[in-house]
Amino acid sequence: MEEKDLIQQSKDGREEAFVALVRRYKTKVFNLAFSLTGDRDTADDLAQEAFIKAYFGLPKFQFRSEFGTWLYRITVNHVKDYLRKKSRLSEISMERVKEISSSQEDETEKREKMLTEEQKRRLLRQAIRTLPEKHQVILSLRDVQGLSYEEVAKVLKIPPGTVDSRLFRARKMLREKISAFLKSERRPS
Amino acid sequence: MKCKKAERMILRSLDGLLSNEEMTLLEGHIRSCPACQTKKEEYQGILDALKEEEFPEPKPYFWERLQFKLNERKRYEPLSLWKQWGLRAIPISFLIVVLLATAILLFMPPKEEELAPSLSQSGILLFQNTNPLQETQPILEQEGAENKSMMLIFTSLAEKNGIRRQFP
Repeated sequence: MEEKDLIQQSKDGREEAFVALVRRYKTKVFNLAFSLTGDRDTADDLAQEAFIKAYFGLPKFQFRSEFGTWLYRITVNHVKDYLRKKSRLSEISMERVKEISSSQEDETEKREKMLTEEQKRRLLRQAIRTLPEKHQVILSLRDVQGLSYEEVAKVLKIPPGTVDSRLFRARKMLREKISAFLKSERRPS
Repeated sequence: MKCKKAERMILRSLDGLLSNEEMTLLEGHIRSCPACQTKKEEYQGILDALKEEEFPEPKPYFWERLQFKLNERKRYEPLSLWKQWGLRAIPISFLIVVLLATAILLFMPPKEEELAPSLSQSGILLFQNTNPLQETQPILEQEGAENKSMMLIFTSLAEKNGIRRQFP
């Protein structure tokens, strides 16, 4: 069935149409929440809440944008709210990332060849989480989820030029944060 | 080309957004600048690692759990609707009350008391279809001419001052 029909039927209150939409988008919504939180349980809860918001927001959906874009926007806003509340409780400091990076560096000196891609990814995830919220979101949408510049602009409701400059800033900050690790990676054994 | 501009172009090139001409310019700069060559490799490594990010699966029974939560929320939805619209209704209701009160004050006919300053006591009595001489009638019927004129004077004075005197 066409997505538009599924949306219209969901708006009319037909649950099976909404189930189909959930099945179609649950992985994407979950992955987005996971890339921003790094925790499976939290991402699962946030994905469910995003779908609940979408369900009750469906009467307001006017087909002016893609359903996926609209759903991504709901998810991003919901995760941002969660991160704001969470950051008030416990904030990962920049020092913590430097610590992680340095410990990784020491480790590489001892067992350089043992470093795996997974370790690099873990470090990247931790470094991303120390970036300002708007930079975390844009990296997640563009570099993790693989959305185009136009899609990112629509989800975040910002001009494509802003996507370009914000993404540049986010990537630059990320590279600077893990520079110690990157240097150790280049060091000859 | 300056390294700052080259860095921006490196990232755009990794997104496949550079024209052939821009790409040639960038490659020329990178060949002559080891720092930018390193940056390009680092950015490439970061973006590759992010793209290859592995995600766990959502927890099992995603829809079933969602359905339960939806049904729970539906039960409370009328209350939340009231919270959403009820709060907006308060100022609107207040405005309606003010408008109604203004309309009533503007279009309501004046009461009898409001007419009093412009009418004399006898005028009010005439307006009420009552004989204005009703109170003076017993005085006029009295025999003593002196008492009669004195009482008439007091009655007229009382009428001017707006004081109703009770006569036996």
